[in-house]
Amino acid sequence: MLIDTNTQLGVWPFTFTPDRTAAELLKHLRASGISRALVSHLGAVFQPDPMPSNRTLFAAVKRTPALVPVPVVNLRLANWREQLEACVAAKAKAVKLLPNFHNYNLAAPAVDEFVATLAKTKLRLVINFRYEDERHRYFGLNVKGTPVADVQALLQRQPKLNPLLAGIYRPELKELAKACANFSAEISFCEWHNTLEDLLKVIPARRLMLGTCTPMLSTRGEVDKLRCAHLPVKTKALIGSANAIRFFKL
Amino acid sequence: MRIIDVHTHPIFFGDGRKETAVNQLVTHGRTLGIERMIALGDVLRYGARPDEKQLVKLNNENGRLQQLHPDYFIGFCYLNPLLGERAVMKEAERCVTKFGFKGIKLEIANNASDPCMRHVMKAARTFNIPVLQHSWSTVNMGPDMKDHSDPDDTAGLARRNPDVNIIMAHLVGIGYRGVLAAKGLPNIFVDTSGAYPEDGLVEYAVEHLGADNVLFGTDLPIRECSVKLGSVLGGRLSATAKHKILFSNTARLLQLY
Repeated sequence: MLIDTNTQLGVWPFTFTPDRTAAELLKHLRASGISRALVSHLGAVFQPDPMPSNRTLFAAVKRTPALVPVPVVNLRLANWREQLEACVAAKAKAVKLLPNFHNYNLAAPAVDEFVATLAKTKLRLVINFRYEDERHRYFGLNVKGTPVADVQALLQRQPKLNPLLAGIYRPELKELAKACANFSAEISFCEWHNTLEDLLKVIPARRLMLGTCTPMLSTRGEVDKLRCAHLPVKTKALIGSANAIRFFKL
Repeated sequence: MRIIDVHTHPIFFGDGRKETAVNQLVTHGRTLGIERMIALGDVLRYGARPDEKQLVKLNNENGRLQQLHPDYFIGFCYLNPLLGERAVMKEAERCVTKFGFKGIKLEIANNASDPCMRHVMKAARTFNIPVLQHSWSTVNMGPDMKDHSDPDDTAGLARRNPDVNIIMAHLVGIGYRGVLAAKGLPNIFVDTSGAYPEDGLVEYAVEHLGADNVLFGTDLPIRECSVKLGSVLGGRLSATAKHKILFSNTARLLQLY
């Protein structure tokens, strides 16, 4: 069984991502051996308020229990508490932050207030670094990846916080792993020859999770990163599903 | 499914030279079904513009790989076009006659639109071998990156030299614009190497260039072979198209079988 911790419904406006229904997304994921997935909605990245896209997401996956919704909260907006309350009311397992796309720094006071409020809920936190390789994307989009130094400062400031980091590059993960242990990471934007063997030198398997960044990246390609890795079956099972089950209480 | 990887760097900044590492790589590749790897050399070890002695050293290392596993590695001759006609022709001849290298590899010594490229084209014609040109969209690059060949630059090179086969490297790096720049040029072959496996790009390349002009490549060790392979195997492509991309196009281009 494989659980994908980084998938999206909706379209990315700068490329030809398919606009799949929840059922179509699940069928696509199953073709690569993925049986469950955490899914967000791409509308929440660019629209001025994430809530309409979050509601679209909840409605879309209502009859597709294998897709677990991860709504987005925008801490740059005055009503972030209201957004969070809506996520709790919808019985979400986790919420996602997009600091770079939503134009706030992780050192902002709202972030610490959010962390304190989040701790009173059962929600887990996902912090997204990026959705695409910045080197060759649409020239008019200048949003940089979430700075690893900002994430490190947050993790050190909030030692009880234990988020999943999504879309993190391999060098960023290796740098962060030297300084902090209170995070997990999904592997879609980590790549090198023998990626997982390389990552496991700096971070234990219990803190890594399968992620494909579908529909931007090739689902099959990302799954094969794990499937073809020279690792014990038990280690692959941790990264492939067990860690996600534990982390998101699936 | 038979597979040839047309874009690898088994030795990278000096790593991977030891025989045990080479043997491990061959085993790894064969485990994934990759039956041959095109070794392009440790192209950035001495910076963007290696001199004659440095090129000889790098090409000799690549030749040694081939000698260790003659049934697995196929070398390309790494050249610096800025060194001029004499140096380019001398090193190309040495690599072809001594090692039997099957192509020329160009990195970022200069732009593919520069006049010095005529020496490389002469070598390619003389020895009847293709030229693999590093290519990447320069749109998001600063002015200090002018020696990176944009897909428009590489396409221009192919247009000016229709009798030389050019491999435009890095499908994801050249992107959709690069595919369209190569469209209609039968002597351009785009390789799938480099960058993260953006979904749908291989299919787009096949749609516009035809399955005959797309080659499977990884850019190992910068990329993971299984990821690149999965992006082709999982692509919305016919079995015939996958076979051409993964094997027969490169086999034909390099006259391997």
